[in-house]
Amino acid sequence: MVQINFASREVNCKLVYYGPGRCGKTTNLQVVHAKAPANSTGELVSIATETDRTLYFDFLPLDLGTVAGMRTKFQLYTVPGQVYYDATRKLVLQGCDGVVFVADSNPDLMAENIESLDNLAKNLAENGLDIKDLPIVLQYNKRDLPNALPVADLDAKLNRNNWPTVEAVAVNGDGVFQTLKVISQQVIKRLNREQGYDESGSKKGKPGAAPKPPAAPPPPPPPAGSAPPPPPPPPPAAVAPPPPPPPAPVAPPQMAPQPAAMQPAAQVGPQPGDPNWRSKTDVFRERMAEIKKTASTSNASATAVKDAPPATAGAAPAAPSAPPGPSTKQVPVLQPQTTVQPPPLAEQTAEPKKKGCFGMIVFALTLAGAGIAGSIQWFWS
Amino acid sequence: MAEFSEKMRQARLVFYEQDIEEINKILSDFLDRSQAKCALLIDKEGHLVTKKGFTKSFNTDSIAALVAGSFAATKQVAQLLGETEFSVLFHQGKNENIHIGLVAERALVVVIFDDRTTLGMVRLYAEELQQKLTDTMLQSIERNKDKSNAVSQEFGNAAEQALDDFFGDKK
Repeated sequence: MVQINFASREVNCKLVYYGPGRCGKTTNLQVVHAKAPANSTGELVSIATETDRTLYFDFLPLDLGTVAGMRTKFQLYTVPGQVYYDATRKLVLQGCDGVVFVADSNPDLMAENIESLDNLAKNLAENGLDIKDLPIVLQYNKRDLPNALPVADLDAKLNRNNWPTVEAVAVNGDGVFQTLKVISQQVIKRLNREQGYDESGSKKGKPGAAPKPPAAPPPPPPPAGSAPPPPPPPPPAAVAPPPPPPPAPVAPPQMAPQPAAMQPAAQVGPQPGDPNWRSKTDVFRERMAEIKKTASTSNASATAVKDAPPATAGAAPAAPSAPPGPSTKQVPVLQPQTTVQPPPLAEQTAEPKKKGCFGMIVFALTLAGAGIAGSIQWFWS
Repeated sequence: MAEFSEKMRQARLVFYEQDIEEINKILSDFLDRSQAKCALLIDKEGHLVTKKGFTKSFNTDSIAALVAGSFAATKQVAQLLGETEFSVLFHQGKNENIHIGLVAERALVVVIFDDRTTLGMVRLYAEELQQKLTDTMLQSIERNKDKSNAVSQEFGNAAEQALDDFFGDKK
């Protein structure tokens, strides 16, 4: 449930990445952590097993910045995908405001996808939430697999409520931010509806009116621009309201096939005992290094073209408000186990100082006492 | 003490300045008396509500999320033992210790302390603290139930714009 704190002027939302085991939930968070501006994300906390399987959850706080005077924060969680960890999955869903269901495009794993989606509905219900009422986005991950199922097939089997869908190759970073954007939009729209505002921001009923399911309002919301032609393919911003008959995928359909080197790691992969086994963290670091290399060159040119008027083209890379782009950020070091920073700083030094002062006072009192005792002894002698 | 109803359990947690001021005062009093390092109030979903004391060296967002997770997990353990939930948790470290108590069934108060004080002292005052915070939160929920909890009207549109700005041309 979205927490609103008027004292600190904060709005806190909880988003959960759900899906079958090894579908790419943790990878989504790792990519967000690596590519979002450093001052917007906190520490990525991961409670994982020794083989890098999520044991309880991964957690990443994301700060959207100040929105209409309220600092808006998203807390991103993943759940463990393995069937065995059902109890912990249920706990993570407690009080969530939106769910990204990450589905594996591998045809052999369709049964797992369906089972996980059923499990999501069951666990939400046990937490008092209705899957038809909650903002949900389907992310079709691993679109780079050579035998990836067509989107239409995935839709037919998984998209039960006209949820928005996004195609992704999370391990390369494709579609990750788009997914996050769509789910964030859905959550904020729902919050708005709960507050009694309609999509244009005007008050429509009394506050706290019952929220309607995301698919309910069929009239297409007019995008803020001026009179856009209705039929043409929607721009990315128009994706949020789910189109009624064919749930139009959000991601660019022409996703280039990815290098074959990544595919084994993304799907089955060698087991921990194998000599050439690499942990997910290792694979992720290598991928991030590659992505950054390519992103740094492409981003620099893209921002130069986009942001700078011709005269100031040279200054363009420094222009965007988001501070360091992926090119300038260091490779993230991910902790396989939960870590909370030890307190190394000023407060630690304050205490020895106090103790030192106290010691000095005791020492001075002792000296004074000894002096007085000595002088009394001298006087009597 | 006000009674905790199902309606309150379902109500959205909204905090106004008056609520936070009262809570902060209670936390400060507790820290003075118990000599604990810091105290955080978080909700059960893992969102931080407010904090007092020396918190700069801690990542309080992560602590809030992990403590809420830990509390939720032990609640399940409690249920396996026939309890509803454990109302107090305690983790002991070499230098730092953490004491977690349930507040008004909706929130948790997290006390971090070191060897400047003792567990007994913290537990003694924490019990009183939990009670005071529970009363304050229940009064606050009661007081705020009729207020319009709406964030400003332009929040939705501004958030849309902020999302566009934030995600920009990211894939």
